[in-house]
Amino acid sequence: MRRCLFTLMGGAVIAAGASIACAQTKMPQMAFRDRTLKNGLRVLSVVDKSSPTVTINVWYHVGSKDDPDHRSGFAHLFEHIMFKSTKNMKAEMMDRLTEDVGGNNNATTQDDATIYYETIPANYLETLLWAEAERLASLTVDDENFKSERAVVEEEYRQSVLAPPNGRLFVAIARDSWNLHPYKREGIGSIEDLEAATIDDVIKFHNTYYRPDNATVVVVGDFDQKQLDTWVDKYFAPIPKPNIGLPRVNVVEPARTGEKRFMEYAPNVPLKGVAFTFLVPSTKSDDAPALRMMATILSQGRSSRLYQSLVYQQQLATSANAQADLREDAGMFNFTSFVANGKKPEDVEAALNAEIKKLQDAPVSAAELEKAKNQILTGQLRQRETSLGKSNALGRAAVILGDPNLVNKDLDRLQAVTAADIQRVARKYLTANNRYVIYYLPESERPKSTSINPSINSTKGGASR
Amino acid sequence: MRNSALVLILATGILVLCAISTAAQTAQATPPPPTAPHSTIFPKPVEKNLPNGLRVIVIPRTEMPLVTAQLLIRSGAEVDPANLAGVTEMAAELLTRGTTTKSATQIAEAIEALGGTLNGVAGWDAATVTTNVMSTQIRPAMEVMADVVRNPSFKDEEIDLARRQAMSGFRNLFATPGTVARLAAARVVFGDSPYGHSVAGTPESLPRIKRDDLVNIHSTYYRPDNAILVIGGDIKPADGFALAEKYFGNWKNPQSALPKLQITTPESTTNGRRVVVIDQPAAGQAAVLAVRTAISRDNPDYFRGIVANAVLSGYSGRLNWEIRVKRGLSYGASSSLDMRRSTGSFMASAQTKNQSGAEVASLALAEIGKLATGDLPDSELSTRKASLLGGFARGMETTNGIVNQFASLAMYGVPLDEINRYTANVQAVKAADVKAFAASRLNTASTSVVIVGNAKDFLPDLKKQFPDVEVIPVGELDLNSASLRKK
Repeated sequence: MRRCLFTLMGGAVIAAGASIACAQTKMPQMAFRDRTLKNGLRVLSVVDKSSPTVTINVWYHVGSKDDPDHRSGFAHLFEHIMFKSTKNMKAEMMDRLTEDVGGNNNATTQDDATIYYETIPANYLETLLWAEAERLASLTVDDENFKSERAVVEEEYRQSVLAPPNGRLFVAIARDSWNLHPYKREGIGSIEDLEAATIDDVIKFHNTYYRPDNATVVVVGDFDQKQLDTWVDKYFAPIPKPNIGLPRVNVVEPARTGEKRFMEYAPNVPLKGVAFTFLVPSTKSDDAPALRMMATILSQGRSSRLYQSLVYQQQLATSANAQADLREDAGMFNFTSFVANGKKPEDVEAALNAEIKKLQDAPVSAAELEKAKNQILTGQLRQRETSLGKSNALGRAAVILGDPNLVNKDLDRLQAVTAADIQRVARKYLTANNRYVIYYLPESERPKSTSINPSINSTKGGASR
Repeated sequence: MRNSALVLILATGILVLCAISTAAQTAQATPPPPTAPHSTIFPKPVEKNLPNGLRVIVIPRTEMPLVTAQLLIRSGAEVDPANLAGVTEMAAELLTRGTTTKSATQIAEAIEALGGTLNGVAGWDAATVTTNVMSTQIRPAMEVMADVVRNPSFKDEEIDLARRQAMSGFRNLFATPGTVARLAAARVVFGDSPYGHSVAGTPESLPRIKRDDLVNIHSTYYRPDNAILVIGGDIKPADGFALAEKYFGNWKNPQSALPKLQITTPESTTNGRRVVVIDQPAAGQAAVLAVRTAISRDNPDYFRGIVANAVLSGYSGRLNWEIRVKRGLSYGASSSLDMRRSTGSFMASAQTKNQSGAEVASLALAEIGKLATGDLPDSELSTRKASLLGGFARGMETTNGIVNQFASLAMYGVPLDEINRYTANVQAVKAADVKAFAASRLNTASTSVVIVGNAKDFLPDLKKQFPDVEVIPVGELDLNSASLRKK
């Protein structure tokens, strides 16, 4: 049972123990239709007439973890190529069918999935279902388009990794944290591997992973359900399910057996960084809700534990974040903090450790837990204001969590988390043996004559998106 | 082109043949046409003025149980005294860091316990305090919001912390080529006039800001007759007005009159055109800008301007088409018209590898120039208008989006029902209007160029086109003066 904190007119905040009952906010449930065609294509749809638009969100269950060997960044490069030509569409025709009629489109390559979407005026739904079926069934690519788009992706790498001061840190965190799993290669890849990619790779990747039995089409917006079913049958049902197997990453990231420390040096580091990573289970694990709640309590907002301690009271850091980076195969619980000018990374490290010990030594207060639950509920309401947000939530439940019903149950699982659950996961996962520590320092501080870790200035290794 | 590519693909093996042949059997060769359009209905605002002069606007929309409330002060960073750049922004930031009855931590606790957010920021023409919460919690959230707007304490220790945080932030900011370029561009376009400085201040100006300066900004400009309260989302107009009355009804105006601000800004001229390179040898990419003055928000050319900009900007706009799609020189090129109360600016921007800095600058200028002199077929104009209109509608899908949209109209004194004429106003713009706007307002001979990056990689090429280029090492950059150079 949830309670809300209530502020009295006089301005005093009454703690949760003495809270006054207030109106409960409920997450509107998503009523979706779930059908699977004979060729394996899953179609999830939600009629929502709040705006005269429709979002189509196509999930392919292939992500950066499936990048071929020596082709880091390939799944993401491939995502760009999907906007080029098909048998019946010229390059950039997707933009003609969306942007030119008042819609928009984009795509995102995650570690576990690649998601393409368009939001269009509702009367263009059939047109775009045809177009999505086209690029699922008959992608084509010519050399000129391939090379110019590869150059674009290389500029994306420069813009996200090389230009911003902290871009290289996120590459380092992935590379240092994962010992075996391909999650260690950040999705943006490297210039070297991108340059090595060929059109052959594109065709092979499309044939291997872009198939109806590896795709989930999510449609949310203003449409007629029967009409949608007819169009889906017309454009998607004829696409054959290939007879070749669907490869899956089955690497199991080994448990950590002791602390490791990494010193990373990069050019253009105006503020030093300190990161901790802890190996945690998959997003499907029963511990996932408690890990997410713990991250919220640690760092969402200025009343959070890390902000209060590291940024506000001790003033050791300019920011301090905790994140439950939970993926399909396994996860990381990360702390990332930037060191205030004139302060030491060692002091930030000690302060982070003190906050971890606090979580392990005593349960979080009822008020903190209540606050985190309200923050998470409000955040999900915000996400689901748009048809794109709704379709993302539904697609993620179906493809990554394995059950579309979780789109409606996820919040209940989070609301059920207790203070004891959080203390338990803090003791279980945030241990010294399970901790990797990464310092992110300016190149000028690299000790002379040692080169234990390669500089992340090189084009090798992954990159953040 | 596509034929030769097909041969290449076919040559790669049997799997390819499968993909292409199955598709050939099943696919319909042309896209099915659209069905009948569905109509768009924009949300309808309701407004009233409180006796103290506070204008209150409520925009109900009930799909999600969320409400956004924004208190907007119609004075932003343009009122910063010349030597105190950043004071308005710092004042807005400090509102949530302590009132006469609550500490910074108590304020954060109070709003976050509700699941909500509360932020104070300054823009160029306004400072805003915004809260977003579940609709069941709007009452306590508004109480906190009213307290921070009306009773900030500006405690010295909070000022010192905010200043230290901002100073640390500058270290990141000065290491980011795109941000350095935008800050330098403001000086290039607006010189020493008020819009030329940085909203967030500079490492030199922030240490000069004293508590009295912050108190002065608050007591001068935070007053009901200079404020607008916009509430949007899952709330009835009567409830919104009642909350406004309860928390802001007894807010009094000071005796003194609101200062009238006269801002005169230079027009971009051919003689005054500058080409500025900030040399940042560590830059991982070059940030390239083409910038100039443009129009104010109340200019009759507003709709001609936004349509002209839509032809240049957006994914399939001319800049991105030439720079990204055709040549692969950037992850994205775009442009924007920033239309403020008394003037405005135009900016085209792209980031590219250092070696292509000069090429991207000339491509951007060429596309801007062609808008005035080249063809603009109706087929292109109508698709760019559709894109503009679609983006406008999508911008109002969220409670925050609705509030921002109506707050922006209100702050510039535009009638709120302009939103209902938006489509017709955009559709009325003709190709000749776009060309005339480009010729009179976006003349490339008076458009300046700013590039921040590793200069040795692009300077030789740039000098061929612009022999008068000024090169400023990033260590000598001074954002406090139009010269951009430390003395």
